[in-house]
Amino acid sequence: MPGTYLPSEYLPVLIFIIIAEAFGFGALLIGMIFRPKKPYFEKLMPYESGITPKGEPRYKFSIRFYIIAMLFVVFDVEAIFLYPWAIVFDKIGIYAFIEMIIFIVILLIGYIYAWRKEAFEWD
Amino acid sequence: MAVTEVRTTIHPAGTDPVQIAEKIKELFPDQVIDVANFRDQVSVIIKKDMSVAILKYLHDDPLLSFDHLQDLTAVDYLKKKDVRFEVVYGLYSMKYRHQIRIRAQVAEDNPSIGSAVSIWEGANWHERECYDMFGIRFNGHPDLRRILMPEDWEGYPLRKDYPLKGPELEKDWIGFREVIRRSQELKEFEWEG
Amino acid sequence: MIDTSAIGLVQVEEDVKILAPNVIITTFDKIINWGRLSSMWPTTFGLACCAIEMMAAGAAHNDLDRFGIIFRGSPRQADCVIVAGTVTKKMAPVVRRVYDQIPEPRYVIAMGSCACTGGVFKTYSTVQGCDSFLPVDVYVPGCPPRPETLLEGLMMLQEKIRNEKARWSPWR
Repeated sequence: MPGTYLPSEYLPVLIFIIIAEAFGFGALLIGMIFRPKKPYFEKLMPYESGITPKGEPRYKFSIRFYIIAMLFVVFDVEAIFLYPWAIVFDKIGIYAFIEMIIFIVILLIGYIYAWRKEAFEWD
Repeated sequence: MAVTEVRTTIHPAGTDPVQIAEKIKELFPDQVIDVANFRDQVSVIIKKDMSVAILKYLHDDPLLSFDHLQDLTAVDYLKKKDVRFEVVYGLYSMKYRHQIRIRAQVAEDNPSIGSAVSIWEGANWHERECYDMFGIRFNGHPDLRRILMPEDWEGYPLRKDYPLKGPELEKDWIGFREVIRRSQELKEFEWEG
Repeated sequence: MIDTSAIGLVQVEEDVKILAPNVIITTFDKIINWGRLSSMWPTTFGLACCAIEMMAAGAAHNDLDRFGIIFRGSPRQADCVIVAGTVTKKMAPVVRRVYDQIPEPRYVIAMGSCACTGGVFKTYSTVQGCDSFLPVDVYVPGCPPRPETLLEGLMMLQEKIRNEKARWSPWR
């Protein structure tokens, strides 16, 4: 058919993907077939050194993880914007440089705000 | 180099155990039944009614100062004596280094005695063990329950009329019978080669 | 001549040896059983003095790691349980529960006289042998058994696994 594009140079990649999937899923499949399947109540209970489990299985973890993740996303996206600018830096002149400085200064103000609000403290 | 003072273990003011026993006798004359002395180990045999008061006097008196309860246990004299149980308190004074033994007689029909936990905190588990093994209740104990045997065990194992090999399987502890019954039910899940 | 000692040949007549009809199953047996016995991972279940000897067997002088035996803390990751020490009636449900939580294939080694038969303690609180509620594969007597004795018990368990037939198929 005219207009279709078959990327035939990437055929080895397809074969590679298929074989890798076969290894992974094949191992799981063989296990599922040959595994003994004899569940009963005591075997399926959650392990707590042999006694009946008491209390909640979950525990509270610190909210600092969420704050650090948010800050990471913001500054990571900033770094992503810096990459293409750095590549064409010598072609775009002084105005692009000043604009990028303004961009970084805006994010720097946000960074100083987070610092003063003790977002970087762990305890 | 200064010479350090060597503390003598005998304090001059009357702390020979026989004299301690005499002091208890003059303060609580109708409570002391007997004083036994075997090779300088003095035991004072008392009635159980004012045992806590006597122990508190021994703890608080500044010249006696028995601040260390070394042991708290019980003895079962089944049919060898008139009164079946004796609760034995082994007391020691770390300040004056004298020790004495107090034996409180507890009758079989109402095996209870006052608790020494208010005087020495360490009596807590010892009294739980006496309750577990002999069935002697301690009045005023904050948490009197079994400590060595399972919570719902029937019987008091260290009494002299309790069989050593324990009850038969049909009358045994319900938890153990449950384990055996369940393991019979799960026989098909065993990995027998 | 071809060296045929490694292949399991069956003699049908004088000087005639053929491959047995179930050669695939027996080869799988050999490989899978070899895999299982060479990496036997016990759950640590040291209850009393025999635990010290079990630790001594796992320590440097008698090394258990050279047999592929690594002690795992959780029964979920283990192959077998070594009941080392006196089992009291209060502890019996716990032992049984830990055995229940080991995935198949699982084995039990009763180490020491107390786990085998109750030992010197014929009392109200001691279970007279953990085989009243556990299917024991190997009994290792001793009070406590020397590490070499425990090693021999583990070798016997390995021998037992080596002789298993088709315990890996879905139709076992």
